Amino acid sequence: MTIPPTTPPTAAAPTPVPSAPAKRVLLHVGTPKTGTSYLQDVLFRNREVLRGHGILYPADRFDGHFLAALDLMRLTWGGLETEAVGAWDRLAEQVRAWPGTSIISHEILSTASPMQIDRAMTSFGEGVEVHLIVSVRDLVRQVPAEWQENVKHRSLVSYAHFLEMIRDPARDTRIGSWFWGAQEIPDILDRWGAILPPEQVHLVTVPRPGSAPDELWRRFSHTFGLDGVDLDLTPERANPSLGVPETALLRLVNKRVTPVVDPPDYRPLVRELLAHQTLSRRTSSARLGLPPATHAWVQDLSRSWIAEVEQRGYDVVGDLADLLGAPSETFTDPDTAPADDLLPAAMDAITALLVEGSRLRESEANLARELEEARHELHLARRTAAERTVQALEARPSGRKALGAYRRVRGRHH
Amino acid sequence: MSHTAAAPAAGSPGAARAWGWVAHLRHGGTTPWSAWTGEAPPSGRVLPGAQQLELLRRLNLAASGPLTPDLAHRVLTAAAPGRGKPDLALVGVPGPAYGPRPVEPATLPADELVRVATSVLAEDVVRIGLPREPRGLPRPWARHHRVAGDPVLATAARGALSPRRLGRGRMVVIGAPLDQMLADVWTRRCFERGSGAWLEWLRFWQQRGQLPPRVDLPAVAERHAASPGGVVVVLDPTALPHALGVRRLPPAHRPGADAAELARRIATVVGLLVPPDERAALMSRTVWPRMPVTSMPPVSVPDEHREWVTRAAERMTRRLQRAGYPVVGDPAAVAPVLTGETPAPERPDAAVLELAVRMLVDDDWTKEAR
Repeated sequence: MTIPPTTPPTAAAPTPVPSAPAKRVLLHVGTPKTGTSYLQDVLFRNREVLRGHGILYPADRFDGHFLAALDLMRLTWGGLETEAVGAWDRLAEQVRAWPGTSIISHEILSTASPMQIDRAMTSFGEGVEVHLIVSVRDLVRQVPAEWQENVKHRSLVSYAHFLEMIRDPARDTRIGSWFWGAQEIPDILDRWGAILPPEQVHLVTVPRPGSAPDELWRRFSHTFGLDGVDLDLTPERANPSLGVPETALLRLVNKRVTPVVDPPDYRPLVRELLAHQTLSRRTSSARLGLPPATHAWVQDLSRSWIAEVEQRGYDVVGDLADLLGAPSETFTDPDTAPADDLLPAAMDAITALLVEGSRLRESEANLARELEEARHELHLARRTAAERTVQALEARPSGRKALGAYRRVRGRHH
Repeated sequence: MSHTAAAPAAGSPGAARAWGWVAHLRHGGTTPWSAWTGEAPPSGRVLPGAQQLELLRRLNLAASGPLTPDLAHRVLTAAAPGRGKPDLALVGVPGPAYGPRPVEPATLPADELVRVATSVLAEDVVRIGLPREPRGLPRPWARHHRVAGDPVLATAARGALSPRRLGRGRMVVIGAPLDQMLADVWTRRCFERGSGAWLEWLRFWQQRGQLPPRVDLPAVAERHAASPGGVVVVLDPTALPHALGVRRLPPAHRPGADAAELARRIATVVGLLVPPDERAALMSRTVWPRMPVTSMPPVSVPDEHREWVTRAAERMTRRLQRAGYPVVGDPAAVAPVLTGETPAPERPDAAVLELAVRMLVDDDWTKEAR
């Protein structure tokens, strides 16, 4: 099924995925940087509404499916994996127990091995109709976005070296291996879709730049069978992109801080505070694209993928031509960004860190005060009866007089 | 399920040859893939990856008899943890035109096989569980101690004291030359929560200009100086038994660099299988005492780190000299020493694989602690 990019689904449109048999799993396995954070946020915040419509989004925290994917794939993720113990089995158990449609969504599932995929598929139990959903975006945008993601995950690698590694057909590097595992659309479909009929495999293309802002959601909504469900679509969580000087600055920061800042501190301070909350707000700087030679190579590759996917007969929601990407534009090289361009972003970063430092100081002072109060309360609670009596008497003039008289009688002055 | 079981690689001569090799390896075969010609029908839905198959072949080569079918199955279905290569296809088996290049499994780097092995070993660790806590009658008349400082020496000391004489009383902070203490902290961390690689970990402390908290002896001592039992820092190993109130102490056991590296990687996978506290307990109480002894020396501080370690040791000496608490031994004893031994290789991948294979083939280590 191919739906036109801007035409809303009508009664005459082909039936969306989840309207037929009772028990089905909609398994969304990526790819990264295709609006997955927004989709997962909407599904998580609206899970009670969805449940009322017979749709289960089994998660008790926003990143529940991320943890399940880490568990399934035995992946480490800067210590987060310790929160993932048993997460896939718990997820699968909920899916098995749910009589209607269940949705599972996480983009790192795109890299799962055939053995892990077999385990995942088996874990849903018998009599379940599995639909695979893969959201895909053109490599012209995916390649720079993946480099930025690497930089936001402590990487020191330059853009030129990154491009070199992903163009190496041997894929011997960790970066090359992971990139293609998460981005090579025909391979992802081979791995995940090997045992599914093509009509149960749904490819959602990310619209081209300049499309209507809600076009991607419209495609997701149609594919997941959410049309007509009253959902709160307020964007609360996104994975925003960075400009060229901002990414270049972050890489320089990484060079200084990765040896001295552990991942559990890096995540909130650098990735969240600096990258997502500060540098991504600088939207007027140059956007990262592809050098001309890489652009041509990427579009040739995309053409071959489009031809391959077309002949497989999958359900395409959107337009496969979206995968070709925009024509080449002026390329701004992040590896040679001049210091002058980095300075404004650096000033914003310093300001953000000082504001955060002030907030933490205030928080620390509040905690110290609360601790002192708690200690005082504890001290009061532990007083003996005699201490309590003495302190109560000392609080009033008449009591102090009585205490003085008592002490004179006992021959004590203090 | 409507996704009917299928064998993706089935149906071609190449696939039949691959399934034939799977059957051969399951039955203890050792023929390399490049020399294999037999065929068999599919015995599963998914053809195992080249890493899993090659590891099974190495196990068969190392085993004196056939492996149990259960172990062979676990190896063939093991997930290679972490962000390494995906499961790779065998060269010569027709498959999809996309994905990573198929490989000749005999040429896979040791590190890739270790990844698969750690997955199976971590499951073994979880299955073994925690040893029973040693029990005994309390000895109220005996002097009790707490122990801190160099974690390898402290572990040996706690073992000598037994739980009946631990937990209150004077804090004994055990020190040693700083380079050895650093190596000991990293080694012990490998058998607790896991860690970064040795040199990466060492650089972390160098760049921070700090020492790992447990071997910052003056800081440890100052923390406990006001505690009821008081504190003593012991830098003279011959005085340690007396300080602990025992006749003698067993020699400290220091795992080789290959054993520590394997433990570090097992700890990562155990962390995916059990909660963090349980991982630390399993690694320190189950794996540490059972890890087979190897001939490789423990990790050591390389020359490029000697200067900052020496300066840090000098600062520590000065602080210990000014201490307001007892210090047994010469405060200058924390200065790093050159052992003269050949250092362990920076990446002992081959030795780590050899040890992992040994542990998978010979399950003696799972039966009882040393």
